[in-house]
Amino acid sequence: MPESKLNFDEVNEGDEAPVLTHELTRTDLVRYAGASGDFNPMHTDEVAAKEAGLPSVFGHGMFSAGLLARAITDWTGVGSVKRYKVRFTKQTWPGEKLTSSVTVTAKRKEEGENLLDLECSLANEGGEVKVAGEATVTAA
Amino acid sequence: MSDFSGWIGKPTGAHTVTVERGPVSNFATALTDESAIYHDASAARDAGFDNIPAPPTYPFAMQHWGTFDEDQPDDPTGGVNPMAEVLGELMSSGGLMLHGEQEFEFHKPLVVGQRLHHEGEVKDIYSKESKGKTMTFMVVEDRYTDDDGDPVVTSTMNLIHRA
Repeated sequence: MPESKLNFDEVNEGDEAPVLTHELTRTDLVRYAGASGDFNPMHTDEVAAKEAGLPSVFGHGMFSAGLLARAITDWTGVGSVKRYKVRFTKQTWPGEKLTSSVTVTAKRKEEGENLLDLECSLANEGGEVKVAGEATVTAA
Repeated sequence: MSDFSGWIGKPTGAHTVTVERGPVSNFATALTDESAIYHDASAARDAGFDNIPAPPTYPFAMQHWGTFDEDQPDDPTGGVNPMAEVLGELMSSGGLMLHGEQEFEFHKPLVVGQRLHHEGEVKDIYSKESKGKTMTFMVVEDRYTDDDGDPVVTSTMNLIHRA
């Protein structure tokens, strides 16, 4: 079975994962476009984005979702995620410093598995939430 | 307003997707994830995986990789893709299309070397009035099973058209 970094008995409701911070760059967006296949020019072409009336290119929502998933798996272990659901609330912009928040909301056992429910979000320095959601992960 | 309810339950497509190491490791790198498990097959095996696993959001991207022409099943849409039809009609009168929500449910580990069989389906289409705008939601479910027929991952996308 895959890696579970957390010991179920040692985790409590309200526990928080270490905070991940990342300053978004245009290089992130170009690299994510290539890795994901999402070449919407609003994420990679500054000229096209400005012609469309935007201040600059903006981040892929799925990049934010992926970064937030990393904040989860850094703490709970790669492969521990059973379910992950996010809502996209605001666009991200190059230069913004994105910060994760991941909190345990429930502990439960289901079909012999130790499960933790998490609430998670990614916000900028001003506290504007970009992506918010929930996850269920396994614990050892 | 158009009635889109006839599209609910219709197939959006079918694919055979091979999960490849290069795209998976590169996807992890693009998400700034340097965990050895995504980059070193022996580290992945030491952690209990059959092979390098994919990051949780990889299913959203994996149809861009490893959908080889010679592997593809017949198109269940009969050439009429509900997404193109519905989104095309909504956008023909303007407005804004947004990716509202995304969900992934894993039934077993998604790892390099798997060959997955994908079926997409329109799960729901509904509208709401909000602040003088019409919001139309389209929910599409993408299910992936392995060669044994076991479910591996279900990906659910909620698109929002606002006009």
